[in-house]
Amino acid sequence: MGKIAPLFMKELKSYFYSPIAYVVLVVFLAFNSFVFSLLMIVLNDPRMTIEGSAMQLYFGRTIFLYLVLSIVPAVITMRLIAEERKSGTIEVLMTAPVTDWDLVLSKFLGAWAFFLFLWAPTLLYVAVLRWYSPLDYGPICSGYLGTALVGAMFIAVGLLCSSLTRNQIIAAIVSYVVITTIWIVGIFENLVSGELAKGIFAYLSVFNHFDGFSKGIVDTRPLVYYTTSTILCLFLTVRIVESQKWR
Amino acid sequence: MIDARNLSKNYAVTRAVDNISFRVNKGEILGFLGPNGAGKTTTMRMLTCFMPPTSGTATVGGYDIFRRSLDVRRIIGYLPENVPLYPDMRVSEYLDYRARLKGVPRKGRARRLKDVMEKTQVADVGHRIIGQLSKGYRQRVGLAEALIHDPKVLILDEPTIGLDPNQVRQVRALIKQLGGEYTILLSTHILPEVEAICGRVIIIDHGRIVAMDTPENLIREIRGGSRLVVEVRGPGEEIRKAVAGIAGVRKVERRGNGVSTLAVDVREEADVREEVARVITGRGWGLREMRKEKVTLEDIFVHITMHDQENG
Repeated sequence: MGKIAPLFMKELKSYFYSPIAYVVLVVFLAFNSFVFSLLMIVLNDPRMTIEGSAMQLYFGRTIFLYLVLSIVPAVITMRLIAEERKSGTIEVLMTAPVTDWDLVLSKFLGAWAFFLFLWAPTLLYVAVLRWYSPLDYGPICSGYLGTALVGAMFIAVGLLCSSLTRNQIIAAIVSYVVITTIWIVGIFENLVSGELAKGIFAYLSVFNHFDGFSKGIVDTRPLVYYTTSTILCLFLTVRIVESQKWR
Repeated sequence: MIDARNLSKNYAVTRAVDNISFRVNKGEILGFLGPNGAGKTTTMRMLTCFMPPTSGTATVGGYDIFRRSLDVRRIIGYLPENVPLYPDMRVSEYLDYRARLKGVPRKGRARRLKDVMEKTQVADVGHRIIGQLSKGYRQRVGLAEALIHDPKVLILDEPTIGLDPNQVRQVRALIKQLGGEYTILLSTHILPEVEAICGRVIIIDHGRIVAMDTPENLIREIRGGSRLVVEVRGPGEEIRKAVAGIAGVRKVERRGNGVSTLAVDVREEADVREEVARVITGRGWGLREMRKEKVTLEDIFVHITMHDQENG
């Protein structure tokens, strides 16, 4: 476990060696600024009757968050293991005194740190809002917490997909599809009959969770869901990295 | 230092390495010689714990490659065949990262980095981006990486492949210089390389060891004597017969036409050079050249692997 620090630093820095970090960062900020200003325009229009504060809408009720939270994790995780395998650097990596857990965990943490770094500038929106009106910080914090946790899960999914192939594009597409499936599985809540089925899909609905997070509700059920899914994906990734030695 | 016992590795349908056993002693340079696809890389990957053997086992520095894999990886430096590096990183940055990863203590790490970079002659490209380096530099960066944590064992897979002749010389000189200090196992399919730097050779073909000895012994064993090459102007067949009649000559082969070139195999401890000259000049033929031919590992290699194929 002592090898995580250098591996993690290398992963994080890798984003900035290549243009990926800058492209993702610019697109991400441009898109989010667009969403935020759109919300401002809508909220300032007296004809609109929308409930909820700006940040609540930002984290809650729009489709935009889905776009950001499905594409970004897929893009920033696609190269993690696939690239190492394609270029053969996995061979020097795995013959260094590093355990499979060290490797997977540090890659996950590196990508997650970069993901959180992407969100950091959006704190400016909070500052802008605070300039004009008093704010309730509770829901804002829980909105960010929800984003961080869902991000962790999706990054773990992306990492798992990256470990399955040596082609980055395939990794990105597969993880995008899986992430989207995880997002929309909650829709079945309205399509199935039966209390149990409805209950299960409601539990899995990321949209429902975000509704809660954006209102300042930190329910332990989604917390458990996201943490356990993250750990499960990391565990599967370790197993896949291990199994590739046996071929 | 390395002790491999009955190592085998099966891939889906093929048996890449078939029951091979060997030892490499401390401070020795052992050459792994074989055609492409003979199982050299697979064997090295097993010894470096990159993949486990299908059966058999090995110890490196006393540690079992399967049970004590982390300890093994701590004491080996490995240079894979195509020298995988991160093209976006700078040389010194990469080496520093690898040094941390391999547990080089913070104190003295900078010093170690500098020493290794000087030893492998990459100090002048320390600030350059790896992707922009020439093949020769990349090879040496890979070698620097393998040496960075001062390993006990160096495992080098085709360390001179793809280099120009000058670079090949430099890398060979470096490896030779490292022998003694480190235990080195290197693979190659270039024969003069083994002759130039290895104390002992293993010839491997179709996953099996077909010969294992010092280069000198292998040469002696196969030829059992020396060979003369004689160039004569005159009737080829007659000359061949005349030379074959000389005591001590084992076999005479004709090479080429017109001016006859003969390859004369001589029995051990016989020196027939003067006698050959006397016979040829005595018959009035023109003796244009006579030299002792050095038997190369190439001959041995071809001999052994061809022989193997005939039997197999």
